[in-house]
Amino acid sequence: MTRFGTLTAALAVGLIPVAAAAQSMSPMRGEVNSFTDVFAVRVYPANPYDQKIKVEIHVYDQDFQPVAARISPSAFQLGSQASRPVLVVVPFGGAAERKVRICTESIPFPNQQTQIRAQICGKFFGHRKS
Amino acid sequence: MKLFRTAFGAALLVACLDKPALATTQNVIFNGTISPTCTLVIATNGTMTVSPDLQTLSSHNSGGSAGTVTLTTTGGVSLSVDPVTTTTVPAADTTSTTWTPTYSSAGAHSIVETGSATAISTPGADLVSVHLAGTKGGSNRFANGNYQATVTLRCE
Repeated sequence: MTRFGTLTAALAVGLIPVAAAAQSMSPMRGEVNSFTDVFAVRVYPANPYDQKIKVEIHVYDQDFQPVAARISPSAFQLGSQASRPVLVVVPFGGAAERKVRICTESIPFPNQQTQIRAQICGKFFGHRKS
Repeated sequence: MKLFRTAFGAALLVACLDKPALATTQNVIFNGTISPTCTLVIATNGTMTVSPDLQTLSSHNSGGSAGTVTLTTTGGVSLSVDPVTTTTVPAADTTSTTWTPTYSSAGAHSIVETGSATAISTPGADLVSVHLAGTKGGSNRFANGNYQATVTLRCE
Protein backbone atom coordinates (compact mmCIF):
# COMPACT_ATOMS: atom_id res chain seq x y z
CA MET A 1 0.00 0.00 0.00
CA THR A 2 2.87 2.32 0.82
CA ARG A 3 4.48 1.51 -2.50
CA PHE A 4 1.22 2.10 -4.30
CA GLY A 5 0.78 5.38 -2.52
CA THR A 6 4.26 6.51 -3.43
CA LEU A 7 3.74 5.58 -7.04
CA THR A 8 0.51 7.51 -7.09
CA ALA A 9 2.27 10.49 -5.56
CA ALA A 10 5.03 10.24 -8.12
CA LEU A 11 2.49 10.33 -10.89
CA ALA A 12 0.70 13.28 -9.37
CA VAL A 13 3.87 15.28 -8.81
CA GLY A 14 5.40 14.94 -12.21
CA LEU A 15 2.65 14.67 -14.72
CA ILE A 16 -0.80 15.82 -15.53
CA PRO A 17 -1.92 13.09 -17.86
CA VAL A 18 -4.44 14.33 -20.36
CA ALA A 19 -5.97 12.02 -22.90
CA ALA A 20 -6.36 13.46 -26.35
CA ALA A 21 -7.88 11.45 -29.13
CA ALA A 22 -6.05 13.15 -31.97
CA GLN A 23 -2.55 12.53 -30.68
CA SER A 24 -0.45 9.48 -31.02
CA MET A 25 0.84 9.76 -27.49
CA SER A 26 0.52 12.28 -24.72
CA PRO A 27 2.25 13.60 -22.80
CA MET A 28 5.57 13.64 -24.64
CA ARG A 29 7.54 15.34 -21.89
CA GLY A 30 7.57 14.92 -18.14
CA GLU A 31 9.53 15.02 -14.93
CA VAL A 32 8.68 12.72 -12.07
CA ASN A 33 9.83 12.79 -8.46
CA SER A 34 9.79 9.50 -6.63
CA PHE A 35 10.70 8.36 -3.14
CA THR A 36 11.21 4.73 -4.14
CA ASP A 37 13.62 2.89 -6.42
CA VAL A 38 11.20 3.25 -9.34
CA PHE A 39 9.21 6.02 -10.93
CA ALA A 40 5.95 5.77 -12.77
CA VAL A 41 4.61 7.50 -15.83
CA ARG A 42 1.16 7.22 -17.32
CA VAL A 43 0.94 7.85 -21.04
CA TYR A 44 -2.01 7.86 -23.40
CA PRO A 45 -1.35 6.37 -26.83
CA ALA A 46 -4.02 7.28 -29.34
CA ASN A 47 -5.07 5.88 -32.67
CA PRO A 48 -5.67 8.62 -35.25
CA TYR A 49 -6.63 6.14 -37.97
CA ASP A 50 -10.04 5.08 -39.13
CA GLN A 51 -9.18 1.48 -38.44
CA LYS A 52 -8.12 -0.61 -35.48
CA ILE A 53 -4.34 -0.85 -35.09
CA LYS A 54 -1.94 -2.83 -32.95
CA VAL A 55 0.08 -0.61 -30.64
CA GLU A 56 3.23 -1.53 -28.74
CA ILE A 57 4.85 0.46 -25.98
CA HIS A 58 8.61 0.29 -25.52
CA VAL A 59 10.97 2.00 -23.11
CA TYR A 60 14.49 2.99 -24.16
CA ASP A 61 17.36 4.81 -22.53
CA GLN A 62 19.12 7.80 -24.06
CA ASP A 63 21.07 5.53 -26.40
CA PHE A 64 17.92 3.73 -27.49
CA GLN A 65 18.83 0.61 -25.59
CA PRO A 66 15.81 -1.21 -24.12
CA VAL A 67 15.03 -0.52 -20.48
CA ALA A 68 13.58 -3.25 -18.27
CA ALA A 69 10.48 -1.32 -17.33
CA ARG A 70 7.09 -2.68 -16.31
CA ILE A 71 4.56 -1.69 -18.96
CA SER A 72 0.87 -2.31 -18.43
CA PRO A 73 -0.22 -3.15 -21.07
CA SER A 74 2.76 -3.34 -23.40
CA ALA A 75 0.85 -4.37 -26.53
CA PHE A 76 -2.80 -4.02 -27.37
CA GLN A 77 -5.32 -3.33 -30.09
CA LEU A 78 -6.58 0.22 -30.18
CA GLY A 79 -9.82 1.12 -31.87
CA SER A 80 -10.24 3.93 -34.36
CA GLN A 81 -9.86 7.40 -32.81
CA ALA A 82 -9.47 5.82 -29.39
CA SER A 83 -6.86 6.24 -26.70
CA ARG A 84 -6.16 4.39 -23.51
CA PRO A 85 -3.87 4.80 -20.51
CA VAL A 86 -0.67 2.83 -20.19
CA LEU A 87 1.25 2.69 -16.93
CA VAL A 88 5.03 2.51 -17.20
CA VAL A 89 7.12 1.83 -14.09
CA VAL A 90 10.81 2.53 -14.62
CA PRO A 91 13.55 1.39 -12.22
CA PHE A 92 16.23 3.90 -11.29
CA GLY A 93 18.79 1.10 -11.37
CA GLY A 94 20.67 2.58 -8.44
CA ALA A 95 20.96 6.02 -10.00
CA ALA A 96 19.65 9.25 -8.50
CA GLU A 97 17.96 10.22 -11.75
CA ARG A 98 17.14 8.59 -15.03
CA LYS A 99 16.12 9.78 -18.46
CA VAL A 100 14.09 7.44 -20.60
CA ARG A 101 12.12 7.48 -23.79
CA ILE A 102 8.69 5.91 -23.78
CA CYS A 103 7.70 5.10 -27.33
CA THR A 104 4.40 4.22 -28.92
CA GLU A 105 4.97 2.09 -32.00
CA SER A 106 2.66 0.78 -34.64
CA ILE A 107 2.70 -0.56 -38.16
CA PRO A 108 -0.79 0.37 -39.27
CA PHE A 109 -0.48 -1.19 -42.71
CA PRO A 110 1.56 -4.39 -42.42
CA ASN A 111 2.41 -6.90 -45.13
CA GLN A 112 3.52 -4.32 -47.67
CA GLN A 113 6.85 -4.31 -49.49
CA THR A 114 8.14 -1.22 -47.74
CA GLN A 115 6.23 -0.74 -44.56
CA ILE A 116 6.56 2.20 -42.23
CA ARG A 117 6.61 1.92 -38.47
CA ALA A 118 5.42 5.11 -36.84
CA GLN A 119 7.14 5.72 -33.55
CA ILE A 120 6.18 8.53 -31.21
CA CYS A 121 8.59 8.90 -28.32
CA GLY A 122 8.19 10.96 -25.19
CA LYS A 123 11.12 11.99 -23.03
CA PHE A 124 10.75 11.54 -19.30
CA PHE A 125 13.07 12.45 -16.47
CA GLY A 126 12.83 10.67 -13.14
CA HIS A 127 14.34 12.12 -9.96
CA ARG A 128 14.83 9.95 -6.93
CA LYS A 129 14.19 11.83 -3.70
CA SER A 130 15.60 10.57 -0.41
CA MET B 1 -40.33 56.66 18.91
CA LYS B 2 -42.41 54.87 16.35
CA LEU B 3 -42.81 58.07 14.44
CA PHE B 4 -39.06 58.61 14.53
CA ARG B 5 -38.39 55.16 13.12
CA THR B 6 -40.86 55.67 10.33
CA ALA B 7 -39.43 59.07 9.48
CA PHE B 8 -35.87 57.75 9.56
CA GLY B 9 -36.75 54.81 7.34
CA ALA B 10 -38.50 57.05 4.86
CA ALA B 11 -35.59 59.46 4.81
CA LEU B 12 -33.17 56.59 4.18
CA LEU B 13 -35.33 55.30 1.38
CA VAL B 14 -35.48 58.71 -0.26
CA ALA B 15 -31.75 59.09 0.11
CA CYS B 16 -31.17 55.81 -1.67
CA LEU B 17 -33.36 56.71 -4.62
CA ASP B 18 -31.51 57.91 -7.67
CA LYS B 19 -28.32 56.21 -6.53
CA PRO B 20 -26.96 53.81 -9.12
CA ALA B 21 -26.09 50.36 -7.87
CA LEU B 22 -22.36 49.94 -7.53
CA ALA B 23 -21.11 47.41 -10.08
CA THR B 24 -18.00 45.33 -9.49
CA THR B 25 -15.95 43.49 -12.06
CA GLN B 26 -13.69 40.54 -11.61
CA ASN B 27 -11.43 39.01 -14.19
CA VAL B 28 -11.61 35.30 -14.86
CA ILE B 29 -8.24 34.08 -15.96
CA PHE B 30 -7.74 31.08 -18.21
CA ASN B 31 -4.42 29.31 -18.47
CA GLY B 32 -3.40 26.63 -20.91
CA THR B 33 -0.15 24.81 -21.45
CA ILE B 34 0.60 22.66 -24.46
CA SER B 35 3.55 20.37 -24.23
CA PRO B 36 5.27 19.22 -27.42
CA THR B 37 3.04 16.82 -29.29
CA CYS B 38 3.32 14.96 -32.52
CA THR B 39 0.98 12.89 -34.65
CA LEU B 40 2.15 10.61 -37.43
CA VAL B 41 -0.47 9.19 -39.74
CA ILE B 42 0.80 6.80 -42.37
CA ALA B 43 -1.02 7.39 -45.62
CA THR B 44 0.75 4.96 -47.91
CA ASN B 45 3.57 2.48 -47.69
CA GLY B 46 6.36 2.64 -50.24
CA THR B 47 7.23 0.51 -53.21
CA MET B 48 10.75 -0.38 -54.31
CA THR B 49 11.77 -1.36 -57.80
CA VAL B 50 15.05 -2.72 -59.00
CA SER B 51 17.48 -0.78 -61.16
CA PRO B 52 18.48 -2.03 -64.63
CA ASP B 53 21.86 -3.19 -63.29
CA LEU B 54 20.07 -5.10 -60.50
CA GLN B 55 22.26 -3.52 -57.85
CA THR B 56 19.75 -1.08 -56.41
CA LEU B 57 16.31 -1.79 -55.02
CA SER B 58 14.83 1.58 -54.29
CA SER B 59 11.72 3.68 -54.03
CA HIS B 60 13.60 6.25 -56.11
CA ASN B 61 13.83 3.94 -59.10
CA SER B 62 11.42 4.15 -61.99
CA GLY B 63 8.10 2.67 -60.94
CA GLY B 64 8.93 2.95 -57.25
CA SER B 65 7.16 5.20 -54.82
CA ALA B 66 7.84 6.75 -51.47
CA GLY B 67 5.80 6.01 -48.40
CA THR B 68 3.83 9.04 -47.26
CA VAL B 69 3.10 10.13 -43.73
CA THR B 70 1.18 13.10 -42.42
CA LEU B 71 2.96 14.87 -39.60
CA THR B 72 1.15 17.28 -37.34
CA THR B 73 3.02 18.90 -34.50
CA THR B 74 3.12 21.76 -32.06
CA GLY B 75 6.85 22.10 -32.68
CA GLY B 76 9.56 21.39 -30.17
CA VAL B 77 10.05 17.90 -31.55
CA SER B 78 12.53 16.04 -33.69
CA LEU B 79 11.90 13.87 -36.75
CA SER B 80 14.21 11.02 -37.73
CA VAL B 81 14.43 7.59 -39.32
CA ASP B 82 16.10 4.55 -37.81
CA PRO B 83 18.56 2.27 -39.58
CA VAL B 84 16.69 -0.57 -41.20
CA THR B 85 16.93 -3.75 -39.14
CA THR B 86 13.88 -5.70 -40.23
CA THR B 87 14.07 -7.09 -43.73
CA THR B 88 12.81 -10.14 -45.56
CA VAL B 89 14.65 -11.29 -48.64
CA PRO B 90 14.14 -14.25 -50.96
CA ALA B 91 16.16 -17.38 -50.28
CA ALA B 92 18.09 -16.86 -53.50
CA ASP B 93 19.54 -13.61 -52.20
CA THR B 94 22.55 -14.67 -50.18
CA THR B 95 24.62 -11.49 -50.43
CA SER B 96 24.54 -8.52 -48.13
CA THR B 97 22.50 -5.41 -48.84
CA THR B 98 23.05 -1.92 -47.47
CA TRP B 99 19.71 -0.31 -46.66
CA THR B 100 19.48 3.48 -46.52
CA PRO B 101 16.25 5.10 -45.31
CA THR B 102 15.70 8.79 -45.97
CA TYR B 103 12.84 11.24 -45.70
CA SER B 104 11.82 14.66 -46.90
CA SER B 105 9.01 16.96 -45.91
CA ALA B 106 6.76 19.49 -47.61
CA GLY B 107 4.21 21.74 -45.99
CA ALA B 108 4.74 23.89 -42.92
CA HIS B 109 8.30 22.66 -42.74
CA SER B 110 10.41 22.02 -45.80
CA ILE B 111 12.98 19.34 -45.18
CA VAL B 112 15.32 18.37 -47.97
CA GLU B 113 15.74 14.62 -48.25
CA THR B 114 17.97 13.44 -45.45
CA GLY B 115 18.74 10.46 -43.28
CA SER B 116 19.60 12.58 -40.25
CA ALA B 117 17.38 13.89 -37.48
CA THR B 118 15.68 17.24 -38.05
CA ALA B 119 14.56 19.52 -35.26
CA ILE B 120 11.12 21.02 -35.81
CA SER B 121 10.60 24.11 -33.71
CA THR B 122 7.41 25.58 -35.14
CA PRO B 123 3.88 24.19 -35.35
CA GLY B 124 2.27 22.96 -38.51
CA ALA B 125 1.35 20.03 -40.70
CA ASP B 126 3.50 18.34 -43.30
CA LEU B 127 3.47 15.53 -45.79
CA VAL B 128 6.56 13.44 -45.14
CA SER B 129 7.90 11.24 -47.93
CA VAL B 130 9.86 8.22 -46.76
CA HIS B 131 12.27 6.56 -49.15
CA LEU B 132 14.28 3.37 -48.87
CA ALA B 133 17.14 2.22 -51.02
CA GLY B 134 18.95 -1.08 -50.86
CA THR B 135 22.27 -1.38 -52.65
CA LYS B 136 24.62 -4.22 -53.39
CA GLY B 137 28.29 -3.79 -54.08
CA GLY B 138 30.77 -5.53 -56.32
CA SER B 139 29.30 -8.21 -58.52
CA ASN B 140 26.35 -8.90 -56.22
CA ARG B 141 22.84 -8.57 -57.61
CA PHE B 142 19.31 -8.59 -56.27
CA ALA B 143 17.54 -11.90 -56.79
CA ASN B 144 14.13 -12.89 -58.04
CA GLY B 145 11.54 -12.94 -55.26
CA ASN B 146 9.85 -10.82 -52.65
CA TYR B 147 11.64 -8.26 -50.57
CA GLN B 148 10.22 -6.50 -47.57
CA ALA B 149 11.71 -3.88 -45.28
CA THR B 150 10.40 -1.79 -42.42
CA VAL B 151 11.41 1.83 -41.95
CA THR B 152 10.85 3.40 -38.55
CA LEU B 153 9.89 7.06 -38.71
CA ARG B 154 10.27 8.64 -35.29
CA CYS B 155 8.91 11.83 -33.85
CA GLU B 156 10.15 12.64 -30.36
